[in-house]
Amino acid sequence: MTAAIDDPALSRRSPPKGAALDPVFRYACFAAATALLASLTGVVVALAIGGWPAFAKFGFGFFTSTEWNPVTEQFGALGPIVGTLVSAVLALILSLPIAFGVAVFLVEFCPTLLRRPIGVAVELLAGVPSIVYGMWGLFVFAPFFAMHVQLPLMSAVPEGSIWEKLTQGVPNGANIFTASVILAIMILPYMAAVLRELLMTVPQQLRESGYGMGSTSLEVVMSVSLPYVRRSAVGAVMLGLGRALGETMAVTFIIGNSHNLPKSLFDSGSTIASTIANEFNEATGAMHTSALIALGLVLFMITFVVLALARALLGSETRA
Amino acid sequence: MNALNTDTFEHYASELPPEAVKLHVQNLDFFYGKNQALHGVSLPVVNKGVTAMIGPSGCGKSTLLRVLNRIYGLYPGQRAKGTVMLDGENILDRKVDVATLRSRVGMVFQKPTPFPMSIYDNVAFGVRLYEGLGRAEMDQRVEESLRKAALWDEVKDKLKSSGLGLSGGQQQRLCVARGIAVKPEVLLLDEPASALDPVSTAKLEETIVDLKKDYTIVIVTHNLQQATRVSDNTAFMFLGRLIEFAPTAELFSTPRAKRTADYIGGRFG
Amino acid sequence: MASLRRARRSIANVAFTGFCWIATAVAIAALALILWSLLRQGVGGLNLAVFTQSTPAPGSPGGLLNAIVGSIILCVLAMVLAVLVGVLAGTWLAEYGRDTAYAQAVRFVNDILLSAPSVLVGLFVYYILVAHVIGHFSAIAGSVALALIAVPIITRTTEDVLKLQPTSLRESGVALGTPHWVAIRKILWKSAGSGILTGGLLAFARISGETAPLLFTSLNNQFFSVSLTQPMASLPIVIFQFALSAYDDWVRLAWAGALITAAAVLAANILARVVTREPRRS
Repeated sequence: MTAAIDDPALSRRSPPKGAALDPVFRYACFAAATALLASLTGVVVALAIGGWPAFAKFGFGFFTSTEWNPVTEQFGALGPIVGTLVSAVLALILSLPIAFGVAVFLVEFCPTLLRRPIGVAVELLAGVPSIVYGMWGLFVFAPFFAMHVQLPLMSAVPEGSIWEKLTQGVPNGANIFTASVILAIMILPYMAAVLRELLMTVPQQLRESGYGMGSTSLEVVMSVSLPYVRRSAVGAVMLGLGRALGETMAVTFIIGNSHNLPKSLFDSGSTIASTIANEFNEATGAMHTSALIALGLVLFMITFVVLALARALLGSETRA
Repeated sequence: MNALNTDTFEHYASELPPEAVKLHVQNLDFFYGKNQALHGVSLPVVNKGVTAMIGPSGCGKSTLLRVLNRIYGLYPGQRAKGTVMLDGENILDRKVDVATLRSRVGMVFQKPTPFPMSIYDNVAFGVRLYEGLGRAEMDQRVEESLRKAALWDEVKDKLKSSGLGLSGGQQQRLCVARGIAVKPEVLLLDEPASALDPVSTAKLEETIVDLKKDYTIVIVTHNLQQATRVSDNTAFMFLGRLIEFAPTAELFSTPRAKRTADYIGGRFG
Repeated sequence: MASLRRARRSIANVAFTGFCWIATAVAIAALALILWSLLRQGVGGLNLAVFTQSTPAPGSPGGLLNAIVGSIILCVLAMVLAVLVGVLAGTWLAEYGRDTAYAQAVRFVNDILLSAPSVLVGLFVYYILVAHVIGHFSAIAGSVALALIAVPIITRTTEDVLKLQPTSLRESGVALGTPHWVAIRKILWKSAGSGILTGGLLAFARISGETAPLLFTSLNNQFFSVSLTQPMASLPIVIFQFALSAYDDWVRLAWAGALITAAAVLAANILARVVTREPRRS
């Protein structure tokens, strides 16, 4: 057997135009893909290095203390951590039923003519920048809430009752509850769009067989559609949670920015994202900066777990 | 009786002078990851003639075809062991430039796949990679190829329009024209008519019979009548092995292996 | 007994249906309210000066020119970077990496980055570019941060749309003797063109509304500047700064800016939908 490349017959033709660059292109693509891996690793590494001084100084106490004093350089992350978790979960509790209702409406009850416009509207609204929600929250919702919800509630609750405890706070509308409401409105279009898409994957035949047996809409949705998409639905919800956890602008305007644990629903608080956004550029000293970066690492860890879980449930095939 | 009938194969091959064999598959094994799909297949492909490969689904005929132009190389995890001699050189050798190989061994696929460009550009695509033809020469080459593929009359007035606008049968003939424009020596056809209606199929078969004067053709087909209509030699495969290989008339009238007879008689498949 | 059961079921169903209608109404109302406020306040602050003058000191007249131009520069630069990296990465995943373990790792990382908090991306770019490489806030840092947010979107859509191309299309290019990359460039990318464009538009829509990643990278610039190595003004940052201030004219400009930003994002999203619906051109 002769060496192929030297034999005149096969090399009678010169290689095609562009052949030489084939490996170059392949490496370029590979480099781009590796850059993605490198960025995520880079984020973790940068956050870890930047936050290390704070972790080293405060140790585990970083997670259990609410003291946040740039002057004495004592920092504790408990306030923002609790605020992040509470606001995100509360937002999810508030928006999930409505998102679910919208999704079911679009799939089961909506008049055909309106189906497309409302569907499109929901998807487009999912893209409205968060700063718009923030501004609306600050200038419209907060004053409204203070005037028409907080004040009346505060004067109506009986003294010394649990309700009083739950509703005490400065009536300026900037508290953890209003922040959660704004967050809820913000993730609402996204959740509705995703849930609707999921419900639309239920095969028509399956739904029809449910109706054909005489089931009501409620029963078809609960016993046929939902179980069919249950796993992906939970994944979608976790994805929404992941986004709520990391949301900055919608919350910063209206959460009150206090590092203490909120004592009631209407008390001010903070989230990790809002704390970083508010304080980073005015950070007084290296330890302050390090504490903020350490906060960032904590947020990353939390969202990473939630997002990884969501992905495992959704499978790796959903849209953004 | 059901195993590889070496007597038949060797007997046939020894009658063929070496110059008459264009492609010679020798002892070929093929693996998809850990699964072995081809077991020790040996097969001569006659120069300037049509060799058909038949067999039930999963028998390995398409796999074998895809070894002949090394297109399996696109997928990590697929590998071939053995020898495939083209004019005396082993195309499976690592040093072979696969792109050049594929310009000599062309392939037409089951599903017509016109490129997203004009009919003219479709046919000229491969040529532009290998030859620096002037405008007039390229026009000539395009016309020549479209004529050979029996498509020229239908598209000569709309060469600039998109290849995607043609009917299924026309698209498939466009793919044939595209394939022969680079002047290959061998043409591999993977069930080329299975997506076409009977009229287009007939036209395509006419084209194949016409082309075999100048090209070596290997065609994989599910359609036994098609094999009898167009091919000179036929190979019957089963479960990754070559069961029988003989001139077409002989294979269909007097199959030597029982399994061949069963398949042709429609007892399974 | 059976009729009681049926009655209960039907009441439950009516309640459920009512709930869905109400939920949709509430959702639409809330969102309409927000858009209405945005329109009313935003239009009130819009005038020619917004587009021709730079951001003012409080109390003086001014506009948003430097912020608008800044946002455009930041986003365009970010998109150039992001398309370069994203399309190549997506191509690698679809054409070369496929199902290998490394490719699965890249996909996983891509999905995490897709939904990761953007403020952390800002922190990361701050750490690398602002604190170390360049030494101060700059437009480049801002663009890099935005690009990091856009890349996962483009990678995802590119991979998805390339995977949708029939295998035979890819193979028939290569079977002709085309070098793999030429086949990708001239056949596959062309065929997937509108999908890739959609991904780009969606990514653009996303980053044009982002604030957090710019907070610690491009910072802000009171004056008109197009220098890439200096801090650069951007609409979201200016909105953030002005909205939280105590000055009425600043707040008014903030609303105008919010309206412009929202409009730009909406336009990009609509364009993305139009592109996807367009039939394959020859």
